[in-house]
Amino acid sequence: MRKLLKRPDFGIIAGCIVVFALFSIWNPRQWFDWGTISNIGQYTAILGILAIGQTFVILIREIDLSVGSVYGAVGIAFAGLENNNVSVPVAIVLAMVLAVLIGLVNAVLVIRGGVTSMIVTLGGLFFYRGLIYVTTHGGVTGVPQSARENWFTHLLGGHWFRIENGFLLLLLIAWVCAVTLHDSRFGNHLLALGGNPASAESQGIPVNKIRTLAFCLCSFFAGLSAIVTLTNQPQTSVSLGTGMELEAIAAVVVGGTLLTGGRGTILGTILGAFFFTAVRAQMIALGAPPSWYISFVGIALLILVSLNTVLSKRLRSI
Amino acid sequence: MKRFVGALALLLSFSFAEATFAQGDNYRFVMVSHIGSNDPNMNWLTTSIKTFEEKYPGVKTEYLSTNEYSLQGFISILNQAIATHPDGIAVPILNSEALQPILDKAISSGIPVVAFNIADTRPPDQRIRYLTYVGGDEYLTGVKLGEYVTEQANAGKIPKPTKMVCANHDATHQGLKARCRGMTDAMKKIGASVDELIIGADPAKARSIMQSYLSTHKDVNYIFCLGTLSCPWAYSVADQMGLKPKISDKGMTIVTVDDSPNSLEGIKDGKILAAHSQGFWLQGYLPMEILYFYKKMGMAPLSDVITGPIVINESNVDQWIKFVKAVIGEDGYKKQITW
Repeated sequence: MRKLLKRPDFGIIAGCIVVFALFSIWNPRQWFDWGTISNIGQYTAILGILAIGQTFVILIREIDLSVGSVYGAVGIAFAGLENNNVSVPVAIVLAMVLAVLIGLVNAVLVIRGGVTSMIVTLGGLFFYRGLIYVTTHGGVTGVPQSARENWFTHLLGGHWFRIENGFLLLLLIAWVCAVTLHDSRFGNHLLALGGNPASAESQGIPVNKIRTLAFCLCSFFAGLSAIVTLTNQPQTSVSLGTGMELEAIAAVVVGGTLLTGGRGTILGTILGAFFFTAVRAQMIALGAPPSWYISFVGIALLILVSLNTVLSKRLRSI
Repeated sequence: MKRFVGALALLLSFSFAEATFAQGDNYRFVMVSHIGSNDPNMNWLTTSIKTFEEKYPGVKTEYLSTNEYSLQGFISILNQAIATHPDGIAVPILNSEALQPILDKAISSGIPVVAFNIADTRPPDQRIRYLTYVGGDEYLTGVKLGEYVTEQANAGKIPKPTKMVCANHDATHQGLKARCRGMTDAMKKIGASVDELIIGADPAKARSIMQSYLSTHKDVNYIFCLGTLSCPWAYSVADQMGLKPKISDKGMTIVTVDDSPNSLEGIKDGKILAAHSQGFWLQGYLPMEILYFYKKMGMAPLSDVITGPIVINESNVDQWIKFVKAVIGEDGYKKQITW
């Protein structure tokens, strides 16, 4: 039990159990309806994949505010390539290369330019969104019919025994990332860098390489999340990804990852994404105005992060 | 000698008058808009302003817009525009209370203001003192579309509305709320109720919100998309949930707004019942001309200039497609279809 209490993601595990129990009692018919499960699963996948990337960046004491715009830019590039007769697999590869390049630019500006990640990625948030508006003139054609029927599109955006493939992909990514974070050299270096950058550098950890990888992974997952969205629902808009950076950061923080770096879990992030998605879906289903959800995010953020902080202080004092 | 002096004086006075007129024509008008490059409707406004500039070469026009749905961002660019002391401003009244102090100050400092696209809907004595309003009537848009729904339902072509939901992508836009209010009043007459659902502008989130709502509000059989961007999202959600959104006398029926390619193609394909046109081209051109004549001759229209709505449906959609393609081009048309 003490081991569980010591986990950084204990707050969100408890929060999810409470929410699950509450909705199971309050509105079981709606909660266990397959349509609800599928809806929550798909959006959790989109937000979860985006937030996993953000976790890597926050773990090294940085932040990436550009992910919403990167998600939009990569998604629109993906649809644009397909509309120019590029095959689905090639369009995915090219769109993901764009995503990684954006991450690389962020890393170079932070490491070589000496500008804080908050400023660099805030600039990116506006720049990439502006680029979308300028290049599309407000109109974006959805994924073309031929691409919608492609097997690769079905692989990422279809179903497997009524389960959204996007959700299965999230589970796979989460498992790989959790293993990487806790059982690999890269993961150890990442946590060490986040915990104490000076000490990490003195121990010979290639801090710049780790930082670069973290930013690239963050943009990579933002791009992948956009592709999961569009392969599932091919109609898009220039507003794709608007405001998603804050939802992703909220999911990471509620999931127990410290903004001061060095401590956090992938499971916590996934549960953070699930928590917000499930609560919003159920609040709307129960008749609450969707605008209330915005206030709810703020309250949940405060409660769960405070719970994590209080618990970790108490346990340290025992 | 006297004749020469007289002729010289006349010539000088003509030149002076010409110079004065030419100088008087050197106006700078600014259109501050919430319809930015994230909104395909911007093309209508920028195209019509360009036509105005071609007609009045001495007059310079500027089009400033926000690119996101944000009242705060809009107020910020409006303040910037006023600070440059233009000869006139055209502005949508996104929020009467919020814009009142800013526009009152501009009007008091001698900048004439024309409201376009969204009017101040308060009682006349409380309204912002703009010269006139050029645009559609957002409330009437809802009413007319509602009346069309009723007419078609009475004819048995579409289901009788039991409950409708207004899918609103921008909670701060009072024009969208007026559209929903108009629809609500039209639906009241046939005993159907209307809910407003704030869905936001991100497609994935909007779909998730609509799906959550529709899963528990089983009596909803109409979706009124208050922006054209959300109609393909609403259709895909309804289709995925097995609610049969293709236009027929059963299942879910979707109604939307605007003469944008998205709406027109939706009507053409039988996915959307109807949309409307609010005369966007006129909304760009006329405010500029009104400002020009006000500056030059002191003239202003005696009443608002209502440019719409007109209902677009399967009977006139082909005509509209031709018209829209002629204005924005075949390529521009294709690029805006997100179905």
